[in-house]
Amino acid sequence: MRFFQPLSQFGFGRILAETRTHYPLSPGLISIEKPESLEGYSAHFDSTLVPNYSSYDSSEIKLLWNLPDAKKEKILHEANQLSLQPFYPSYASEKLRIEDYDTYLKEFLSLSRIGEQSFYLPIDQFESEKIDGILETDCSLIILNDLSKLFTNQRKLAEKMSNLRTRLSPDIGLYLPGSVSPALYSFLTYIGIDFFDNSIAYQVSKNGYFLTEDGVFPIDSHPPCYCSQCISTPKNIFRHNETVLKNALARVNFALRNGTLRSLVEQDIHRNITFAATLRHLDTKFGELLRRRTPIISSTKVKCLGEESLNRPVVSEFRERVKERFRPHSSSRIIILLPCSARKPYTMSRSHIMFRNAIKKAGSSIFSMLSELIVTSPLSVVPRELENIYPARFYDIPVAGSWSEKEIEITSNLLSNVLSHYQEDCIIINHLHGSGYEDIIERVREKSSLEVIDTSYKAPPTSHQSLQELSEAVVNTKERFSLNQTEKVNSNTKKIQAIADFQYGPGTGKRIFHGKIKLKGRYPRSPQIFRDDKHIATMHASTGYLSLFPAYTKEVSEISLNKLDFGADYVSGSNIYAPGCLKADTHILPEDEVFVLYENDVIATARALVSGEDMNKMTSGKVAEIKKKKR
Amino acid sequence: MKINPDFANTIREIRGKALGERSHSRKVVHWVEDHRLRSGPGKAIVFILPTKGCSWALSKSGGCSICGYIYDNPQEPNFENMMKAFKEKLHDSIKDGGNYSLKLFTSGSFLDISEIPEEIQKEILEEASQYREITEIVLESRPEYVTKKTMQTIKESIDISKIEIAIGLESANDDILKKSINKGFFWEDFEKAATRIFDVGAKVKAYLLFKPPFVSEYDSIKDIMQSVSKLNKLGVDTISINAISIHRGTYLSIIFEKNQYRTPWLWSLLHLCKEIKSKYPDLRLICDVVAGGTQRGAHNCGDCDKQMTEALKQFVLSQNLEDLNNEFKCSCKTEWKSFLLQEKITIS
Repeated sequence: MRFFQPLSQFGFGRILAETRTHYPLSPGLISIEKPESLEGYSAHFDSTLVPNYSSYDSSEIKLLWNLPDAKKEKILHEANQLSLQPFYPSYASEKLRIEDYDTYLKEFLSLSRIGEQSFYLPIDQFESEKIDGILETDCSLIILNDLSKLFTNQRKLAEKMSNLRTRLSPDIGLYLPGSVSPALYSFLTYIGIDFFDNSIAYQVSKNGYFLTEDGVFPIDSHPPCYCSQCISTPKNIFRHNETVLKNALARVNFALRNGTLRSLVEQDIHRNITFAATLRHLDTKFGELLRRRTPIISSTKVKCLGEESLNRPVVSEFRERVKERFRPHSSSRIIILLPCSARKPYTMSRSHIMFRNAIKKAGSSIFSMLSELIVTSPLSVVPRELENIYPARFYDIPVAGSWSEKEIEITSNLLSNVLSHYQEDCIIINHLHGSGYEDIIERVREKSSLEVIDTSYKAPPTSHQSLQELSEAVVNTKERFSLNQTEKVNSNTKKIQAIADFQYGPGTGKRIFHGKIKLKGRYPRSPQIFRDDKHIATMHASTGYLSLFPAYTKEVSEISLNKLDFGADYVSGSNIYAPGCLKADTHILPEDEVFVLYENDVIATARALVSGEDMNKMTSGKVAEIKKKKR
Repeated sequence: MKINPDFANTIREIRGKALGERSHSRKVVHWVEDHRLRSGPGKAIVFILPTKGCSWALSKSGGCSICGYIYDNPQEPNFENMMKAFKEKLHDSIKDGGNYSLKLFTSGSFLDISEIPEEIQKEILEEASQYREITEIVLESRPEYVTKKTMQTIKESIDISKIEIAIGLESANDDILKKSINKGFFWEDFEKAATRIFDVGAKVKAYLLFKPPFVSEYDSIKDIMQSVSKLNKLGVDTISINAISIHRGTYLSIIFEKNQYRTPWLWSLLHLCKEIKSKYPDLRLICDVVAGGTQRGAHNCGDCDKQMTEALKQFVLSQNLEDLNNEFKCSCKTEWKSFLLQEKITIS
């Protein structure tokens, strides 16, 4: 059994806890000597800092975990040992190191209780097959002793860490020893580092003074600080620095817990040019790896601050799912393209109320044949049905009115793709205005054969003239389709079906939500969904996503993309543990609602702690928490 | 195999480039310094004899990764001139009633007949034996030249009890000898040589190297302590701990210039001296800091270097721990402590 257990996952960042007690330890700070107060530290090295004769034999270096006394009875072990190191450090020539590292591996494998050891992994062994043997053991803590060499080589850093983290099971902790500026904690956590140490506090205490916000400052010229360490005389510089490190990591911890790590990273990387470039490189080259580990069920604000936001994993996941999973309702005949609004959901905004009123002039029966698509950045295309779910209802972007070439390209591609799923006789009413939107529509026209009617070409979309044009266009188009050609569809049903498709996989919506669908309860309460007067699901107001009762999921289990094959016909307790998870869908994201299956029968629904891919890698620890069991 | 061929080749390549550039000075270098003799404080007369240099350094295996003494040796020795200068200078250095230790260094092995032919060895020792004031004679040699025959040669030339053979053991750990120094011999070879020396009634002095390349300062402290214990058990009563100083033209110099290696802290030496002397009070513990306080030698933060090297010097002369018990209060002490562990963990 591994020492760690991921409790949540965000990109490569995870909260790791002691596996038996679930006591969280990462992202954590390690003190290199026994600190005066353990508060704020995850562990400390428990050995004499300077070897002497009296402690000579027992001076094996121990990393003692900071767990509350009450939990100590239950824990797997108290400390990790550092019994063995490769002889040659990273600066020795490759030739010398290769053979030496082989010896190290051999000796390491022969150690007793490998789960309590700390394993050294130099950069040039990240991809090596030689370490396979180690990864199969219970070894839980890996020391990346020379990773900081790559701090000046951003491409390599992104590449190496992504590859390593994808290769490793998420319950293996990574410790980056040595001086690391606290300004980089958030980014490094995001790419998968779990532990840092306080050695920088010792080092700079003589020569420099440093602060959370911007890294290290010289002692005689630094921004003032009024913490208790600084206002006391004499100033205790070491304590101040130590506090800064603790606070910096606490901030990352908090963000991870709240699902806002990505926003924090985007803020923080702007302090360091190299790391800003690394994030961009990471998103473009390894975005998919991050995406598969980023929850899409959330209720935090998505602050889109810079260029990085366009490729934010949750944003690309949304686009990807719209492309792969959103299929317009068969009754759709008229497609209306609308601009976004600052207020979310769009429906509540002033502009969208005006649009609605203008459309209504064609009679309320129009809504059955209507498909509204909101064109926006960075989400590109938000179908009206999905406007309430995360991240559509939660993003915010500084509007400058101008679209970048990249945004235009991404948006027009997705829009063309979505439009290709409509029937060929559909008509597009384009109510977008401005040069960026014009460029997008221009490209869409090239790819799509559907007829486009512009209604806001001359004046802004909310202007009297444009609204008038919109009404007229809708009325005129409606006349072209005889009413009996389309079925009458309840807009709530349409919406729930679209969300189900988005959440569980294409086609699932229709299979579950057929017949007479009714919603009870309105925002801010979570509406309960009834099918033929039976409560079958709930739509969560906080996230916009659904929860299904296991009894009603049978009809979709074969086509859904969130299945977890379980090893028994009944789940005892409230968790699914890795050994019980035979196979998990690789589409599963952390926080997703998963269907727990035993021989194709859904026996429970659960909340995923880690991605499906990572569930398959884990050999111990819980992978999901039960939400509902089938009675 | 007592060497790693890859490592040896690398060292030889570096050596090859530097050897061509060495000077041809055949001057006999000599000086007199304060020294701790077995009988108490006294003086040492140090001679550096211009032989062709260390055979190990000139061999195919490239010599030791840390040693650049060979670059001071001439390519061709002139023994006639050497002897003349030696005799004159020795005569001039000795004052009546003094207590002297004569140190005969070649930057190689005195007992290696390819460096100093047997008859010259004899001539030197016989010359030295004429001075009553010289109570100790220190000869440096690698263990392989300490044979029954060479010991016999010495015995015929001088009172053997005055002789002390100094061997650069560097470490009692074979891994360190092979993997980081390329020393070419192991502890067992040293052990045999020491026994041979003891058997004829001479004394042994061992040099230990503090912080060879690739070894963290933390591990090197442990290694020195362990080596001292082993030496003590063997009966070696004089140990000199040599903190590394960076010689140009060596493997170590190259990694040092790439900023991958920090020369040791004086704090560590201070700690070692205290620790060892308390455990082995009868041991003559020498710790001469070469290039102390500079980047290429053992150093601290710059503020406390001078004070600390002085204290170490004093201690070596007096062998009195009280000389080290001064409270050194420099803020770099915490930095040093954390450095030890951090370097140990990152091993780079």
